[in-house]
Amino acid sequence: MEFPTEIIGDKGYIHITSDLDTEVAGEALRSAFNEIYEQGKRTIILDLSGAQIINSYGIGKVLSCYQRLKADHGVLMVKPLDGFVKETFELLMLDKLLPVEK
Amino acid sequence: MNSSQPHILLADGDTESQEKFRAFFKRRGWELEIVRDASRLGEALELSDYDVIIADAAMPGLSPSMLLGQAFRKRPTQALVMIGESAESDGGVRLLRSGITDVITKPVDFSWLERCVEQACSLRRQDEREKQTYAFVTSERTVMEFSCKQLREIQAISLPIVSRLLAGGQLSDSEALRIRLAVQEAVLNALEHGNLELDSRWKEVFEQNGEDKFTAVRRQRMDDPLFAERCVRVTSDFERDRFQITIKDQGKGFLNSQQPMVPLTQNLSCFGRGMTLISNAVDEVRFNDNGSEVTLVKYLK
Repeated sequence: MEFPTEIIGDKGYIHITSDLDTEVAGEALRSAFNEIYEQGKRTIILDLSGAQIINSYGIGKVLSCYQRLKADHGVLMVKPLDGFVKETFELLMLDKLLPVEK
Repeated sequence: MNSSQPHILLADGDTESQEKFRAFFKRRGWELEIVRDASRLGEALELSDYDVIIADAAMPGLSPSMLLGQAFRKRPTQALVMIGESAESDGGVRLLRSGITDVITKPVDFSWLERCVEQACSLRRQDEREKQTYAFVTSERTVMEFSCKQLREIQAISLPIVSRLLAGGQLSDSEALRIRLAVQEAVLNALEHGNLELDSRWKEVFEQNGEDKFTAVRRQRMDDPLFAERCVRVTSDFERDRFQITIKDQGKGFLNSQQPMVPLTQNLSCFGRGMTLISNAVDEVRFNDNGSEVTLVKYLK
């Protein structure tokens, strides 16, 4: 499994195209993140529109990306969320932590 | 949809192409709706239900991830056919891996497309008949047992009863998703903290090669028969107005991992959210004495 990435200006985008609830999906996120991070981008945006569900494993991987960027004065953002992923983010207060890209 | 004829949505911005599809579907008496602008796709999916969605990969503003996200959110089994320049390319393979039913190259082979649509409709009708029949079930018990290795291969378990209660209208979409997530969390706890005896705090202890200790020990224990041959048993019981799911592991118990999480604003750890997700999904959560068995109870309205 691979998640597509793109660079637009000084931002990197990761398009999550499946649920973020397995080891395989978590590894795909880590790999996509590394690809952008190694190109020097420190503003990375997660597009979770292709995910219907995110579990604690996926959230752990998202927070691992967050911590890595924060340690390097970077920022992890999300595209506007909806549906169950939005509900999960709000329940776990991740919406207070990760800014939304307008 | 009441008609037995296939109901198809075409997302295509090219007028000439739209006419070809329209003529083909009209000859067969199939219902066709066309979205000419990618930004209207979400609206079309909200307003109606389609047996098959056919989309031109070259349509301006339409990306496969957007299409998959919007279509699968409404119906995870939605049949999707992408019309692309080349099915053999990496892009074509990636599309198929991401859940697209088929990728058809231009010029479109309409006999192949016809087969695709008929197959998707036949599967859907069969599925609907099973769902109608299931509405008459009054009680059901299912017991599943997975070794740690089997759970790794399956990746994420999904209980058939949840899909069936959703189809029968006894659970809403949102309730079904919450329960699916809660079961995943409970099974993951049973696997990692129960059977493999892993400590969550190891997720923030890094080895020299940059890998966290949790992942490293997890991999090691998955190859150690002492841990890997332990099983997780998942039992679901349904009876008219309630159902419960019991998850039991063969470890020594892991009560410390069962405590509710600290609010995220105060805790940025990479762990400790599973119990919140579980409690949010069901009406009752019960543990046995040492935490090696958890029962999730949901009352049905």
